[in-house]
Amino acid sequence: MTTPLARRRWRAGGLLAPVAVAVVAVVAAPLGFVIAQAAQAGWDQTRRLLGRPLIATLLWHTLSLAAAVTLATAVLGFGAAYLVERTTLPGRRAWTVALALPLAVPEFVRGYSWVSLFRSVHGYWGAVLVMTCSLYPLVFLPVAAALRQGDAAAEEVSRSLGRGRLATLLRVTLPLTRPALAGGVLLVSLYLLGEYGAFAMLRYTTFATAVFTQYKLGFDAASASLLTLVLVGLALLLVALEAWAGRQARITRHGAVARPAVPVRLGGWAAPALAALAALVGVSLGVPLYALAYWLVKGSSTTLPSASVLGATLATLGYALGAALVATAAAVPVALYGWRRGTRPARAVERIAYLTRALPGIAVALAVVFFAVRWARPLYQQPPMLILGYVLLFFPLALTAVRAALAQVPPGVEEAARSLGTRPLAVLGRVTLPLVLPGLGAAVAMVGLTASTELTATLLLRPTGTQTLATQFWVYTSGLAYGAAAPYAALMVALSVPSVLLLTRRSLGSTP
Amino acid sequence: MTGLSVVDLHAAHGRSPVLHGIDLTVPDGALACVLGPSGCGKSTLLRVLAGFHPAAAGQVVLHGRVLDDGRGRLAAEQRGIGLVPQDGALFPHLSVAANIGFGLPRSQRRARVGELLDLVGLPGLGERRPHQLSGGQQQRVALARALAPRPRLLLLDEPFAALDAALRAELRREVAATLRQSGTTAVLVTHDQDEALSFADTIAVLRDGRIAQAGSPDELYHRPADAAVAAVLGEANLIPAEAKGVEALTALGALPLAGSAAGSAGALALLRPGQLRLTASPVAGAVPAKVLGSDFRGHDHRVELRPEAAGLPEVLIASADRPWPVGGEAYLAAVGPVHLLPGD
Amino acid sequence: MPGTVRPLAGLSLLAACALALTACGSSGGGSASPEATGTALAGQTITVYSGQHEQTVKALTEDFTKRTGIKVELRSGDEAELANQILQEGDASPADVFYAENPPALTVLDDKGLLAKVAPDTLKSVPAADSSGNGDWVGVSARTSAFLAGTGKAADTAPPASVLDLAKPEWKGRLGIAPSETDFAPVVTQVLKAKGEDAAKQWLKGLKDNAKVYDSNENLSAAINSGEVEGGVIDHYYFYRMRDEKGAAETHATLHYFPKGDPGSLIDVSGAGVLKHGKHQAAAQAFLGYLASAPAQTVIANSASYEYPLVAGVQGKPELPALDGLGTVADPAALGDGKQALALLQDAGLLQ
Repeated sequence: MTTPLARRRWRAGGLLAPVAVAVVAVVAAPLGFVIAQAAQAGWDQTRRLLGRPLIATLLWHTLSLAAAVTLATAVLGFGAAYLVERTTLPGRRAWTVALALPLAVPEFVRGYSWVSLFRSVHGYWGAVLVMTCSLYPLVFLPVAAALRQGDAAAEEVSRSLGRGRLATLLRVTLPLTRPALAGGVLLVSLYLLGEYGAFAMLRYTTFATAVFTQYKLGFDAASASLLTLVLVGLALLLVALEAWAGRQARITRHGAVARPAVPVRLGGWAAPALAALAALVGVSLGVPLYALAYWLVKGSSTTLPSASVLGATLATLGYALGAALVATAAAVPVALYGWRRGTRPARAVERIAYLTRALPGIAVALAVVFFAVRWARPLYQQPPMLILGYVLLFFPLALTAVRAALAQVPPGVEEAARSLGTRPLAVLGRVTLPLVLPGLGAAVAMVGLTASTELTATLLLRPTGTQTLATQFWVYTSGLAYGAAAPYAALMVALSVPSVLLLTRRSLGSTP
Repeated sequence: MTGLSVVDLHAAHGRSPVLHGIDLTVPDGALACVLGPSGCGKSTLLRVLAGFHPAAAGQVVLHGRVLDDGRGRLAAEQRGIGLVPQDGALFPHLSVAANIGFGLPRSQRRARVGELLDLVGLPGLGERRPHQLSGGQQQRVALARALAPRPRLLLLDEPFAALDAALRAELRREVAATLRQSGTTAVLVTHDQDEALSFADTIAVLRDGRIAQAGSPDELYHRPADAAVAAVLGEANLIPAEAKGVEALTALGALPLAGSAAGSAGALALLRPGQLRLTASPVAGAVPAKVLGSDFRGHDHRVELRPEAAGLPEVLIASADRPWPVGGEAYLAAVGPVHLLPGD
Repeated sequence: MPGTVRPLAGLSLLAACALALTACGSSGGGSASPEATGTALAGQTITVYSGQHEQTVKALTEDFTKRTGIKVELRSGDEAELANQILQEGDASPADVFYAENPPALTVLDDKGLLAKVAPDTLKSVPAADSSGNGDWVGVSARTSAFLAGTGKAADTAPPASVLDLAKPEWKGRLGIAPSETDFAPVVTQVLKAKGEDAAKQWLKGLKDNAKVYDSNENLSAAINSGEVEGGVIDHYYFYRMRDEKGAAETHATLHYFPKGDPGSLIDVSGAGVLKHGKHQAAAQAFLGYLASAPAQTVIANSASYEYPLVAGVQGKPELPALDGLGTVADPAALGDGKQALALLQDAGLLQ
């Protein structure tokens, strides 16, 4: 009776892989598009384009910015997380929310508010400042979660071996949070590769600037795609680095339940620590909110066409939520596949999905245009295509959150459930999914948050006539009517706040 | 010279007090054990000693140096107290050798790490990663890591709890031997009386944040201060008794008293299972009993009986060298001397 | 391969959301048709991709529907992104009309053979110089490049006599430009045409030394208004739109026009074309015809976009100086698809 046995094994193990591979194939489709477009540029064009001394300059701009912002977000994100999670800092819960709230401010609002309030903020240091302020929560949230869930025993052992607090922080706490830190930093650096709008406002040029110039002034998709491939190469490098950093810190925990750490007494350091956090929140949240308030009050074009505001709000909510749900649902099989199989190909499939994060929004949107108009014509410029665009753009965010949640699932629970006679699909529904549910909430919040402020892909993929808050904001700002644009920006921020609250609650769990 | 001395130690979690005046002395080089059920405060005591929890009042003194007096306290890293946590808590990002060398100055690392790997029986495994080790190996590395800087005191927090029974006993013996060999003063915290009895020179039974009794394993086992301490250290048959001269009068006959009789009327005689002899046929002074159960425990059989005589508890436990048929008859006789406990 | 729909994996997941979202999606749909004017085209719906000032185009399409009964799906966006979108869509594009801000975006589509010929009557309504030479698109409105200076600054009291002067050392640190905007390349092309490639390169080099680079005309205007830079080259309407937004009291900038004949005195046309593969050719031509008609031109002239109408007899906003006194219309053929200007800007390091 070996036949039924063998078949059963194949079915149980084999279902997940094709689903995961299919999802990644869809997510990686824009990459294929970019490669196909780039191939249309001849060898001569390639050499001319990439041989320019300008390319070296732009690479340097991109890499030096990525390095500085990555370092700054790592230091600030980790430092803030440590203060909130491991010290006697007063008001730790409130700080957690305040520190995550900058995520609620759309990128273009932030860019404009800085540029309009402070003339000196531009160029390299301006870009470092603004990007650090907006991106540090991507490091702060996962690190804070890791610190909260981590066992304090290793740190106590280090102290008992004569290492002081600082040495323990650097030699034990920091390495133990490295997977979370590496994941957050990866998102930050990939984001920096593909970002265009904020840098344009800050008058800083990166590789993505060159890509946009080729699209916008050259109408040259081939050259633009060729340059985009360089970005993809950089992204590959980053993903590989993250994989390496993550592997170096593989953690095994068995048996005992983690005991929360005893908070470090800040004593005389409480005042400087509070001042530092207040400065961070003030700079990253206060500046855009002040600019928004200024526009709302001062702009003479401030009139509230309530019908259009309501329509745009509903459309924004619907699309963002739809994209968030689909992206999360799609991320589950991919994350599960990488998690269950520790194998190299499984992890490779998972990591390909991250590469799209480095693609400029316009490349992803045009890829959807290209595929949809040819092979999904009835759906072209219909809501599903906009949602697909969002999903392709923000899939890595969902994947990161689902992966983080899976990492908390004790190994062996799935086998335990199977041994109790539960079929694989039922195990997923009854054991695995309930366990990762908080993480799924975080994934939905993260994608919804980001999608609700997306502009480039929205303009290209939305159903004709649909307005979201972001497109309305764009319509008015490109007509210089900042007052009229302000209510839409304010609404975007307001709509994002619940997501941020959910994120801080979900990724950090309840009060210890 | 006194190694560790704890005087009238109080500690609290927030507003709820956990330790209410602990007094504990551990001689230099001795292996002490704090034994108690979960929630009795033993982990808090250990954390106060290690410097991770503040004392509310009282004193902790190690080798004449005050570590904590309820007002000021020495930072954990300045105490020279080693710690072996329950699951080892090896640093997952460091190799075995780097784990062991963590608390050592760079110059001493190479030599001392090799020495310790030999000491804990893991020569040649220095380059392994913690996740490549078995549970027992991980605990040995944790021990080696804690011993490496030659701590003045070693604290072990249920270090064998996660291991299987056979390995637990073996490792326990090994660790005790290692500690004696290196002359380390150690405090082991556990809820397992076998562990306490086989490991320690001194046992302190902790109950509700107070030391119920402290002494040598033999003393605690055979002469517990009260019924509860008796029960914590192992299975105990408590039989109503009356002291009369050098004897205790019980339903199992007059038994010689161990030590002086503290009791008056309403006292209880402690009879460990090994002190009850079973015979198949009646002998002088034996009481008939019905066999309720018989479990093989390897070195003996644990037999549960219901005595068919007045003045005895419902159930008695005896240790026998052969299985007894359940439901059958047996005759119970007690072997002195017995220890008398005060009644309630 | 017509008819073969091969849904990408994952699309089925989207289907449910599609149903839920179409409700709040497009506004066109099933509402009752307005009073038809009797044309056979009434009731048809055309899709217009527009890179022009959204509020103005909306007013135009509403008026058009009222007059003809032809409904319009308006898709507003950045003109370059829309042009890229049409390029990717190719012959499957749902667009019937492309209404651009600048000629190069139309020229690109023209070069790829994506535009149909504009009806001769429509072309006749506007001056021939304002439309494409081969009749592929029609000019609809115009704007002129000008010099915006901070009021009271040296740039205001002594404005440049020529756009070429801005490359001179005396402007170092006082100037702002927005070279990534599609409006700037035509100025470069004009200089190139008037003075030759070497002079154009020298000029751009001077600009790079002198000027601060801004990402958009909007931000450049704001920078001039706030005193961050003294002045910059900009299309005239940015000044008026900014004045509307900020109010006269908060506007600290003054517009100066370059003398007629100077490469900086460029009149740039915003035009519209019919997509060759559009399914509503007649209705699309009707829309172009409408754009070039007096009513539409009046809407443009009265709108907040501050552009000049092109049809004779329709007056622009009273505060705008007469167009024909200001400069010459840039030849769309000379502007090409903007690649030459782009290459020059990149060589000069003003663009990446």
